[in-house]
Amino acid sequence: MILLQAPSDWALFFGHFHPLIVHLPIGFLFIAGLLEVGRRLGAVSLTDSVISLILFWSAVSATVACLFGYLLSLGGGYEAEILEEHQWQGIGVAVFAWVAWLVKSERFGDRIPFGSLLYVPALVVSIVLLMVAGHHGGALTHGSDYLTQYTPEPFRSLAGMPPRKESEVAIKPLADVNQALVYEQVVNPILQARCVQCHNAEKSKGDLRFDTAEMLRKGGEGGPVFVPGKGLDSELIKRCLLPLDDDEHMPPKGKTQLTDSQVAILSWWIDQGAPFDKKVADLTVTDAVKPALAQLGSGAPAGGSSAAPAAATGPAPEPEVLTMQVPAADAGALETVRKTGLLVMPLSKEQNQLEVSAVNARAFGDADAAALTALDEQLVWLKLSNTSVGDGALTQIAKLKNLHKLHLEQTKITDAGLKNLKGLPHLTYLNLYGTAISDAGLAELAGIKSLRTLYLWQTKVTPAGIAQLKKAAPQLEIIGGLNEQAIATFATSVTQPAIESPKATKQ
Amino acid sequence: MDLQDQIHDMMSRRTFLGQTGAGIGTLALASLLNPGAALAASGPALGKPHFPPKVKRVIYLFQSGAPSQLELFDYKPRLETMWGQELPESVRKGQRLTGMTAGQSRFPLAASAFKFAQHGQSRAWVSELLPYTSRVVDDLCFIKTMHTEAINHDPAVTFIQTGSQQAGRPSFGSWVSYGLGSDNQNMPAFVVLLSKGRNGDQPLYAKLWSNGFLPSVHQGVVFRSGPDPVFYLNNPPGIDRTSRRRMLDYLAKLHQEQVKHVLDPEIDNRMQQYEMAYRMQASVPETLDLSKEPNYIFDLYGPDSRQPGTFAANCLLARKLIEKDVKFVQLYHQGWDQHGNLPNDIKVQTKSVDQASAALVMDLKQRGLLDDTLVIWGGEFGRTNYSQGKLKKDNYGRDHHPRCYTIWMAGAGIKKSFVYGETDEFGYNIARDPVHVHDFQATVMHLMGVDHEKLTFKHQGRRYRLTDVHGKVIKPLLA
Repeated sequence: MILLQAPSDWALFFGHFHPLIVHLPIGFLFIAGLLEVGRRLGAVSLTDSVISLILFWSAVSATVACLFGYLLSLGGGYEAEILEEHQWQGIGVAVFAWVAWLVKSERFGDRIPFGSLLYVPALVVSIVLLMVAGHHGGALTHGSDYLTQYTPEPFRSLAGMPPRKESEVAIKPLADVNQALVYEQVVNPILQARCVQCHNAEKSKGDLRFDTAEMLRKGGEGGPVFVPGKGLDSELIKRCLLPLDDDEHMPPKGKTQLTDSQVAILSWWIDQGAPFDKKVADLTVTDAVKPALAQLGSGAPAGGSSAAPAAATGPAPEPEVLTMQVPAADAGALETVRKTGLLVMPLSKEQNQLEVSAVNARAFGDADAAALTALDEQLVWLKLSNTSVGDGALTQIAKLKNLHKLHLEQTKITDAGLKNLKGLPHLTYLNLYGTAISDAGLAELAGIKSLRTLYLWQTKVTPAGIAQLKKAAPQLEIIGGLNEQAIATFATSVTQPAIESPKATKQ
Repeated sequence: MDLQDQIHDMMSRRTFLGQTGAGIGTLALASLLNPGAALAASGPALGKPHFPPKVKRVIYLFQSGAPSQLELFDYKPRLETMWGQELPESVRKGQRLTGMTAGQSRFPLAASAFKFAQHGQSRAWVSELLPYTSRVVDDLCFIKTMHTEAINHDPAVTFIQTGSQQAGRPSFGSWVSYGLGSDNQNMPAFVVLLSKGRNGDQPLYAKLWSNGFLPSVHQGVVFRSGPDPVFYLNNPPGIDRTSRRRMLDYLAKLHQEQVKHVLDPEIDNRMQQYEMAYRMQASVPETLDLSKEPNYIFDLYGPDSRQPGTFAANCLLARKLIEKDVKFVQLYHQGWDQHGNLPNDIKVQTKSVDQASAALVMDLKQRGLLDDTLVIWGGEFGRTNYSQGKLKKDNYGRDHHPRCYTIWMAGAGIKKSFVYGETDEFGYNIARDPVHVHDFQATVMHLMGVDHEKLTFKHQGRRYRLTDVHGKVIKPLLA
């Protein structure tokens, strides 16, 4: 049995057919049982040879399933105790299926003493074992709590089960990222959500377990999974960064993948020496990981910034307000908004967030703005440039709590209206070019902490007002544009190499 | 064949529904055969981006004929020290040549006749030929390692525009129109603008902005500057808007009759195009009205901008179109194919594009449009580091070179003040971080919220996409 001592590719190849083959005896045995019951109740009439044929194939397929199951188990990574039970139950199914067939078969049935007495018990035992083995098989593949993890109340309490844990995929937002324990509250939830399904006490693929800190430190059959201080040299990170098609890539193709920011966090944690007891605030928060940490909850991550070169970083993660779950917009509300001439466009296939544009609705005015408030959860990008809106509309816009970008250029809004924007917690883009906004209005904007870019071309704002705002809100990029003087300088201060007298150029 | 199948399919379904006469079947049939409803329902293929887009609109300043990266962006001092020496075979590695230089006995290395300097925070090298562009490098993202598969203009332009060297596939803008639709129902999603710097250069063909096998509503619409921007859009003398409307309504009825018999989806497309043209009769003059543009804006884009049909005037038009949420504005500027007399000809060419390209970036920025608009500047391939024809100190030429060339992008979703990739010291091969044409296409698609592997169209039995079976999003470019 060389084949069975070291799991060769052949062994594992056939082993992986176990989950497929195993369903044949399940079907065969159940139909045999049903037919037998039906026959005894007089509901169906059939001959022994039919039952015998079904039982024969039950036994054959159960035997093959046992064999393949054994080959599969050579690959390792299953919880030994459940595996052993499952194995013997499976063998039992096969043995009792053979017994049931033997005593029923025309050729051998007569030669077995008390054969007819054995038939019913053998069939019943085989079916019962089948159910138990099936349940354990499921537990091996999906985890022991898979079947019942979504048991609803009140059955849950009746069965004496503990209250359901939050779905492991949803990572709870942190109250304050800086005070979070870096392993317990930042790293571990990612591992729990994406890795533990296959690397746990019951199913430890690659002899690797992520369910406890101790096991994570220990590593797997290939050695430790991380090298403290060297994120990119660590197996844990390398595996996530390999191309999806690579056999070594983790999580395997088809499973939910880690997001870029999750990989960034894990990599950063290892770079920082992979501490298990420190808080985020105790570590150096690099620019690369800042946005990823910021995503985890409210409160921007503090901490010394290191000079991570921009070139080395991947794309910044999407702001939460664009990716979070919001309910779909009410159809009636959409219709009302469309009637005012606005275009309503979904941000993407996956989400219910909306973009609303007044590109063809020049007449859209303050009176129409109330219609927008019905979309307060969905509306993230609003473009009201070149419309008739004024300060009146801003009182309605103030209610659009998830607003991320707001275009008010070339409208009649004034300084007085801007105070309404203060309460918009996600506003990052504000375009006020071509309006009557002056320094007085700018003062109102300093309070919008989320604001990142502000457009003030062709307004009444003065350089002094901009400087003051810049001081109050250093995160803000203020784009003042070019005045006539600046354009004249730009257009004339440059010399291009002189072109020789236009001679006929050939070819 | 495909159309035949489609018609056959619809016919049999119609027969089936007609025979059953079930209520729901009749309803389906009614919507199937009522072009009014079909018109309303026929949205873009995806309807929605796959994920939230960074880029809502693209202006592609295509430099047709292949600008020399060695005179503009890819500074190679080694070519100065080795001026006139033979291109080492260890560098060329048997690279194929065009018929124009394959017969040359020597391949003398030619340094740029123009000085280079570093600019902006990224310390990007830009030559003295582009003094205006060098002022805005802090808003630009240079890719120095673009490479393509074609070595001649037509296949190379077709390749970067449609993802295939052979003609017949949909253009980039058509894919965008098909996938994302329009953000302004009164304007086409894909607009084309044409200009040329130097006469007698490589021609352009309408196939480059063709919809290929996509429904014909997605083909690029050519706009011209001047009083009549779209050919045949205005009503002829004696026809007013009301009678045009009535004519279209009756025509639509005839079309609906026709659809009942032929079931050709192109009839639907034709009706949509008539309706779009009708709406454009009102929207286009308004959109392209330059009379309200102040003088200093013309000054910003340069003196050419007052002259319709120039690159500068088209840049200004492009901004006007973007302000009206046109999704994809494709400019073509001809005249970069400098096989000989390069030092002088390239000056004509850079003068025609430099100020307006920089002005466009600045103008979009101050209007807040660069936040969700992407500007792309580049050609179909690069030019050789050796001289085509005789190499003189003040005169030389360069042949086609597909192995590396430089483009720049500016705007939404990509890094600002950034230089990606590096060529070897001869400017012949890529030293690190190559960007294939399909990678570039995949990246722009990604910025627009589209997974380039998922935007497909089934035609003649297989699913096609812009990037064929290739293309990777170049993540380090993303902001």
